[in-house]
Amino acid sequence: MRNFFIILIMKFLHLGLKLFHKNGGNFLGKIAYKWNPEIFKYFKVNCPVIAVTATNGKTMTNNAIGYVFKTAGKKVISNTEGNNMDTGILSTLLKACTLTGKVKADFLVFEVDEGYVPVIFKDLKLDTLVVLDFFRDQLDRNGEVESLILKINEFLKTYTGNLILNNDDPNVARLGKANPNNKNIYYFSVEKYAFATDKMKEAGEGKFCPFCNTRLEYEYYQYSHIGKFHCPKCHYGENDIYKLAKNVDFKNRTFQVDGVTYKTRFNSIYNIYNFVAVISCASLYHIDTEIVLKALSEFKLDNGRLEEVTIKGIPTIINLAKNPTGANVSLRILNEDDSEKELLFVLNDNLADGHDVSWIWDINFDKLSNVKRIITAGTRAYDIAIRIQVSGFDEKLIEPYLNLHEAVENLYKTNTKKYVIANYTALQPTRHEILNYNKTS
Amino acid sequence: MENPEKELKILYLYPDILELYGDFGNIQVLKYRLEKRGVKATIEPYSIGDATPNFNNYDLVFAGGGADQEQSILATDLVKYKNSIKEAVKNGVFFLLICGAYQLFGKYYKDVNGTIIPGLEIFDYYTEAIEDRKKRCIGNIVIEANLPAPTGSTKVIGFENHGGQTYGITTPFGKVLKGNGNKFGDTEEGFFHKNVIATYLHGPLLSKNPALADYIIKHCLDRKYNIDTQLEPLNDSFIDKCRKQLLTRFEL
Repeated sequence: MRNFFIILIMKFLHLGLKLFHKNGGNFLGKIAYKWNPEIFKYFKVNCPVIAVTATNGKTMTNNAIGYVFKTAGKKVISNTEGNNMDTGILSTLLKACTLTGKVKADFLVFEVDEGYVPVIFKDLKLDTLVVLDFFRDQLDRNGEVESLILKINEFLKTYTGNLILNNDDPNVARLGKANPNNKNIYYFSVEKYAFATDKMKEAGEGKFCPFCNTRLEYEYYQYSHIGKFHCPKCHYGENDIYKLAKNVDFKNRTFQVDGVTYKTRFNSIYNIYNFVAVISCASLYHIDTEIVLKALSEFKLDNGRLEEVTIKGIPTIINLAKNPTGANVSLRILNEDDSEKELLFVLNDNLADGHDVSWIWDINFDKLSNVKRIITAGTRAYDIAIRIQVSGFDEKLIEPYLNLHEAVENLYKTNTKKYVIANYTALQPTRHEILNYNKTS
Repeated sequence: MENPEKELKILYLYPDILELYGDFGNIQVLKYRLEKRGVKATIEPYSIGDATPNFNNYDLVFAGGGADQEQSILATDLVKYKNSIKEAVKNGVFFLLICGAYQLFGKYYKDVNGTIIPGLEIFDYYTEAIEDRKKRCIGNIVIEANLPAPTGSTKVIGFENHGGQTYGITTPFGKVLKGNGNKFGDTEEGFFHKNVIATYLHGPLLSKNPALADYIIKHCLDRKYNIDTQLEPLNDSFIDKCRKQLLTRFEL
């Protein structure tokens, strides 16, 4: 009875929020969770629940899976806005359920914060978990990556649902051994791409075998510590691959899986990994290949995740980078593009970013290709300017501004193509400043 | 290019393991500030499985901090070189040790489970982790370091993130103006001994503290070439603005 009233009140609150055109984020979930931390048990879900977790790529992959299923005519409930902690997912469920807690859909698809997988799916039955990658991320807030992985590993010891794992990340593939009785493990991988390297080019984690502490051997690195690895002693990493992406071609934005050529709107290696995960998931639920093909060719995100916009005729690419790997991948995309360009890097050190900006020294700014000028902004505009100066980029071509508005105005003084990298709390203000600039005469 | 013949040799310990917080930044800053002055910077990495390094052959030895699990793997490797490291310290080779490396040069490190990981015992201090795993000294930190003349007193700006509490320091690196230091709410930070600076200010410590970077560079050049080096000033305008901005924000 109590839960009934909680949901009733939340429905009223939701209606109120809607009247004022507010989305509410995880507000509803926060209150409901406070009133009953076991409220997850109350929901009656009669469809598969799919979750995506990772350090980077959660939103992209989650939304792409949802988009594929919707394209197939399925009813999907999903936290597409990125509210990925317990209270965020609870909010999504509260908005979608009936007063008796019934959630009517064909699929529930959630992106889930790495730390909250065990919390949420203790009481909500999970059908498929997709794990993309684990990188160092806001260490002063999250702690070391290893403790996060161990928490998920613990949860997986009794989990018997589908597990879709990136076989090219030694921190992810290890989860496939958490429960030896689970036969539903599916590894995905991407063949060596044109810009893969023999040595690690950017900071990464995978150095020692998690099972025998032997140093891992890599055939190649795609980016960071993602690549083809194996343990020379216990052969960890040598798994059968469920879905393998081949012939990655950024010029045409295509890749192949099982002989089918997929076209996408994106041109980065980490998106290929995300999409192979999506294809693996769609395949497990028997979605027609033609539909997946169509959905992936249309899918895009308009929230600063590799968002391509034209500002007063100037092509501009905006990408979120909240940790070294995110920034390094953005710079890869910039370096793989031959055209002349300018870079805006916005760095904040607010609570949600982590106060520690040491991670910018893990970004590889060496030998930037055809970059004519770099503008920095954000609460740590000078920190990132120093970082870029020390990398050897001509200091006369670096312009730091503490004021974002000023930074954007100066960025668009020239007609050169723009790349914009912004960290977590910097992203939306930067987008707005740029989109507003487009409206000025 | 002045001093074309001059060179500093830097030994970078465990660059693939002790690199959690952008520690490589310090090496990059040293290289940048040396090369701008026409001094060659030779950086040689050492990690598990490499040939035994001759510590006395270097002007500067640098080691950073790492993840707990990886740090315990290398502790057993480092202890093999205890005697030659001791000798190099005595001979005046400069050691810059950050976070985990700082702890390893002491008597021991007692982890959260009470297990004692023996240190190199080069110095008398020791470190004990706080029992509550979640309690760590985390945040922006500013210390006042009183370096030997002519550098003198300088504010050192950085970031700390450590669970270990270090005791038995008689000669600290600096006085805490903001942040914790060697222990929760401590007044002192790090360890200083002629040619050794050990500190919890992690990651790119030298990037925002050019006086400290140049102090180390001058110390190494003076020792190697037996001269009184005059370092030519560099364009530090971004650093000056950064320091001003942060010190104002921290109300210091």
